[in-house]
Parts: sequence; structure tokens; C-alpha cells
Amino acid sequence: MKYVLIRLLRSVLTLVIVVTVVFLLMRMMPIEGYFGASFDKLDEAQKTAKLENLGLLDPWYIQLKNFYNDLIKGDFGESITYRPKVAITKILGEKLITSLRFGMASLGISLVVGLSLGVLMARYKGKFWDKLGTCYVVGANAVPVVIYYLLIQVFFTQIFNLPLLYDKTDPKSWILPVFCLSLVNIAYYAMWIRRYMVDELNKDYVRLARAKGLKNKEIMIRHVMRNAFVPMAQYLPASILYTVSGSIYVESLFSIPGTGGLLVTAIQRQDNTLVQALVLLYSSIGIIGLMLGDILMATFDPRIKLGNEGGSR
Amino acid sequence: MAQKTIEEIINSEVILSVEDLVIKFNLRGKELTAIRGASLDLHKGESLAIVGESGSGKSVFNKSFMGLLDANGRIESGSIIYKGQDLSKYKTEDEWIKIRGKEIAMVFQDPMTSLNPLKTVGKQVQESIELHQNLKGEEAKKLAIEILNDVGITEPERRYKQYPHEFSGGMRQRVVIAIAVACNPNILICDEPTTALDVTIQAQILQLLKNLQDKYDLTIIYITHDLGVVANVADRIAVMYAGDIIELGSSEEVFFDPKHPYTWALLSSLPQLGIKGEALYSIKGTPPNLFKEIKGDAFAPRNPHALKIDFVERPPYFEVSPTHKARTWLLDSRSPKVEPPLLIKKMQEMGAKRGDIID
Ligand SMILES: Nc1ncnc2c1ncn2[C@@H]1O[C@H](COP(=O)(O)OP(=O)(O)OP(=O)(O)O)[C@@H](O)[C@H]1O
Ligand SMILES: [Mg+2]
Repeated sequence: MKYVLIRLLRSVLTLVIVVTVVFLLMRMMPIEGYFGASFDKLDEAQKTAKLENLGLLDPWYIQLKNFYNDLIKGDFGESITYRPKVAITKILGEKLITSLRFGMASLGISLVVGLSLGVLMARYKGKFWDKLGTCYVVGANAVPVVIYYLLIQVFFTQIFNLPLLYDKTDPKSWILPVFCLSLVNIAYYAMWIRRYMVDELNKDYVRLARAKGLKNKEIMIRHVMRNAFVPMAQYLPASILYTVSGSIYVESLFSIPGTGGLLVTAIQRQDNTLVQALVLLYSSIGIIGLMLGDILMATFDPRIKLGNEGGSR
Repeated sequence: MAQKTIEEIINSEVILSVEDLVIKFNLRGKELTAIRGASLDLHKGESLAIVGESGSGKSVFNKSFMGLLDANGRIESGSIIYKGQDLSKYKTEDEWIKIRGKEIAMVFQDPMTSLNPLKTVGKQVQESIELHQNLKGEEAKKLAIEILNDVGITEPERRYKQYPHEFSGGMRQRVVIAIAVACNPNILICDEPTTALDVTIQAQILQLLKNLQDKYDLTIIYITHDLGVVANVADRIAVMYAGDIIELGSSEEVFFDPKHPYTWALLSSLPQLGIKGEALYSIKGTPPNLFKEIKGDAFAPRNPHALKIDFVERPPYFEVSPTHKARTWLLDSRSPKVEPPLLIKKMQEMGAKRGDIID
């Protein structure tokens, strides 16, 4: 319990520091980002007036205070160039949810399929299933994703007669993007669970479990799988949260209106407030994800106490 | 010494009988013979020590009784008779499950890694009970706590809920022993149960095993490369060299009247018997290459007393007494008389006086 509390406090502190640093960095950006297309047409006085209006000429600590005030109210300001004068929260809201849906669907599938495949590979290490799985893992990692995304798009739309582009009203249009998103993740989960299980299988306690008369299957289920899952549990919350950031390839390939690539676009268009909001969002997700992961891991692994975090690995 | 007399042991029923066991391993396309025709009768209720240097095959020999050989190993020939069944013919997991734990249980060397770090100690003991004693839930838990108490863990109710990392090495070995005992086996194999522990704890663990032997009616095999460790607990000692048992006798016979030059060498290298100020004896040479076929007596190349025949023909067992036998040509009536080393002669004199056995 104490561990959780301290871990929580530490995360909040990190978050505050990150938010502040991001804010201060954003103040150092060129001011064009606050004007949009009108920048060149305005004279100096008009520019100053506008900046004044936005509160950007106040001393930095006042700005910071105001910024935090707004933040607490859930106000991230308005977009400037991306969709002028629209509240950031409104822009992001829909996009985040779209990406989250795709991400979660794919994550769910990847976990189920990937973990099963990995378990199978560990169980039959060196045999057919392991070799087949290894081929897949290597293939999925070695071939650039875009290549098989394109192949999938070209062939699967023809063979299975599936829609090429995402359409909100057509559930069938989900299949291909989710499939694409899952391919690499399945390989990823399969690879790690296999690795951790093989690690566990070589440990002495497995030998003792066998000597006391447990069947292989029982050893796998009661001892090995559970223990192998613990190190993976650490990254699970972050993986779940990160689904909101979408996939730049898949989303643009299937024209899904998600968050994938939004940050890049925002930077290119010099939309300072949008950039700020996205950076804040992603870094908080990182921090919260890690924290949840640590807490999750601590609930599984009794050896983890403050001071020797990660000592178990 | 609370041991049974050697006659009592020899006359009690044979619980496990190994005959001419040959075990081979495949290693990178080559074949290695780890056990070369070893035979052994284990008597009910005894404690037998198997000693021998590292690599002599002690673990492999014993693991084969439980079907725990590594995947690249196999029993080539010979038999392991237990309760009328030949275990050497067992192949499937279903067959071995009937033996493992229930009939023969094992305690391994390293208590620090023998327990699952993510399960409570109590649950791991309870698992054995639920597997082999037809008890479930609360009843099984009660028995688990009782067994924890029996292996000398204080406040067993509280300790039941703790995890392995909250235990010291000695305490963990007690838990491992509890797990083995909880299977309610007939035979308990202890593979270097104290090697990883410090000396005072070693003695405690050995004492514990001795107590448990009476209480749970166990036949115990101690595996060790340290003769000194088992001097006090073993009724009989089997000396293993290069995959064969080259001398077998009661503890006293092996200690005070050893016949095989390898046993002489082994005893001479005991620190407990070393003479102050003199360098400790160490055996010259290295054990034979198990990849090659061994002709004659495996120890011959390292044996300063080796005879010509030692390099040609494998010696049979020569009986020294009804309970003592050794595989060495030196015992053949035709061999020249070879004097054992000084230290061994001193031991023999001590034995003749039937003085107190080294403690
Ligand atoms: N899986 C295996 N593959 C190949 N050779 C093996 C295997 N297991 C054991 N051996 C060999 O069999 C021989 C006997 O090994 P074993 O482990 O029984 O020795 P030991 O007497 O128990 O030694 P220690 O005192 O070191 O535990 C050794 O030469 C070893 O290299
Ligand atoms: Mg060994």
C-alpha cells in the first residue's frame, strides 16, 4: 500500500515537471504559430495586440499560473491553424475515441492470439510450432509494415470483398485495419511470452514441481505461465493507454479520422496550442502507464518493495 | 548414533533394486555414457549415502529412478525394479506421475532457487498434499502447517502465508524438504541437500532429515561429494566413480576399512582427516572421458597402485564381508599385496579398536 502511495506521488510530481517544461518550451517557439495564415498580412502593432490578447506578453509565471488554471478546468485552448477557433478538446475528443477503439480491438486480439501463440511456442520449444512461430515473428519484424499493409489492402479487399476505406457506418470496414494493426503486435506478444516462459522453464522450481509429481500441463498453467506473465504485466497499462495515439500508417491508409500522425501535422502547420496539448497528452499517458504498470507488477510479485524496484528481473 | 545395525538393514526388504544400469546421453552428435552398468539394492528404512566426485554420475543415477533425465538422456539397458515394476521401461508422463512424489521424492541442492518466488510457501507445500494425500482446502492447509512445524519452522501459521524471499537459505531448504515429505513418499532422495548451506546449518538439516526419517518412515538416499558430511547419518555408503559403484559397505566399513584405491583417495582428501601442517591430499589426474569406451578399471590411469590387468579387464565385485564389496583387482587372491596409504592405515587401526567414530 505504501508502495502504491509513494509511486503515485512520484508520478504526480513527474507529471507537474513535464507539464511545466513543455509549457515553457512552447513559449520559446516562434510566434507565427499563434497567427495562422494571417501572419504576413498583419503589421507589428496588430501582432502585439493579438499576443497581448492571448496573454502571451505577461510575465512567464503569470502565464504559467493561467495555464494551470485552464488545464484544471479541462481547457486546452483553441486550435489556431489546424481547425481555427475550434476547442482542442473537441478536435481531440472524437479522434482519440476513434483511435482508442481501433487500438483496443487490435490489442485485445493481439493479446489473445499472441499470448496463445507464444505459450504454444514455449511448450513445443524447438519443434514445429516454435519454428513456425519464429518465422512469423521474424517476418513481422523484418519486413517494413507498409509493405504488407499494402499487400493486405490490395489482396484482401479483392479476395474477401472487404471495403477498402473506413466507413463509420460499415462494421465490415473495421476488419482490415484491425488486422493490420494486430499483425506486429501479435508477433511482439508471442515473442516476449515465449522468451519469459522459456526463462521460467529452465528454473529450478520447475524441476522441483516436476519431481513432486505435477504434470507438465499443470506446471505450465499453475507455475510457468503465471510467472512469465508478470514481467509483461508491467508494460500492459502503457500499451493500453498508448492506443489513443493511433497508427500513422494504418489510419492514413484506410482514411481513419484518428490521432495517428496528428502531432506531425500540427507541428508542420505550426499550431502551437494543438502541439502543446498533444505533447502533454502523450507524456502524461507515458507517465501514468508506467505507474500503473509498476503497481500492477507489485500486486503480482511479492518481492517488489520500494527501493528495489526491478530487482526481480 | 541412532542408526540401525547393518544386519537389520541387510535383512529388511529390498525396496528398490537397480541392476546393470547403463545411461547414455547424446551431446552434439556424440554419445556419452554417464552410468556404466551400476547395480544397487536399496533396503527399506535405511539411509544410504552415494559419494563421488563431481561428474561421477550421482545425480543422473538417481534422477533415472524418477524419470527426470534430461531430454537427451536415455536408459540404454539394465533394470530398476520398484514394487515389482521395472521403472527403466517407463516412457510416458502418465507412468512416471505414479512414481514422482507419491513413491519417490527428491530434495535438490539449491534451496534459493528451488521454490517458486511468486507463490506462498504454504501453498507450495499444500500443492504436494493435494496431489498425493487426497486432501483439499482447509484440511490440506492444516496438514501443510503441521508439516512446516515438523521441519522446524517456527510459527508455521504465520510462515505459511509468507513468500520464499522472506526465508533464509536454511529455512528455504526446510521448506523444500517439507514439500518432499508432504508427498508422503517411501523413498526420499536428497541431492546434495546441504552443499549450498553454511556448516552449522548443514548439521541442522542433516539432523532434521534423520528425525523425519523415523517419523515418516522414509528410506533416504543422500547424494554428496563430501564423505564427511554423511558420516553421521548414513547407514551404508556407496562410492561412485565414472558412472559405477566401485565400493559399497556399511559406513564403518567404508570409513575404517576401505578397499578400493579410489575410496582411499577420497578419504585421504577429507579435510577432517587432514594432518595439521601438511598439505591436504588431492586426487591426481582427471576423471575419464565418458565419451570414450572405458576398458578395465576406470580409475586405473589415476591409480598409483594400478596393476596390468586394471587396464585390460573390468574388475568384478569382490566380497569383503556379507555387507561390504568393492570392484578392484587388489582384492583378488592372485594380486600382490598393496599397502593402503598411511592415513588409511591409521583409520583401519582406529576402526579395529572400534573407537568412536569421527564426529
Ligand atoms: N543432459 C546431459 N547431457 C549430457 N551429459 C550429461 C547430461 N547430464 C549429465 N551429463 C553428464 O553425466 C555425467 C554425470 O553427471 P551428474 O550430474 O550425474 O554428476 P554428479 O555426480 O551429480 O556431479 P555433481 O557432484 O557435480 O552434481 C557428467 O559427466 C555429465 O557431464
Ligand atoms: Mg549432482
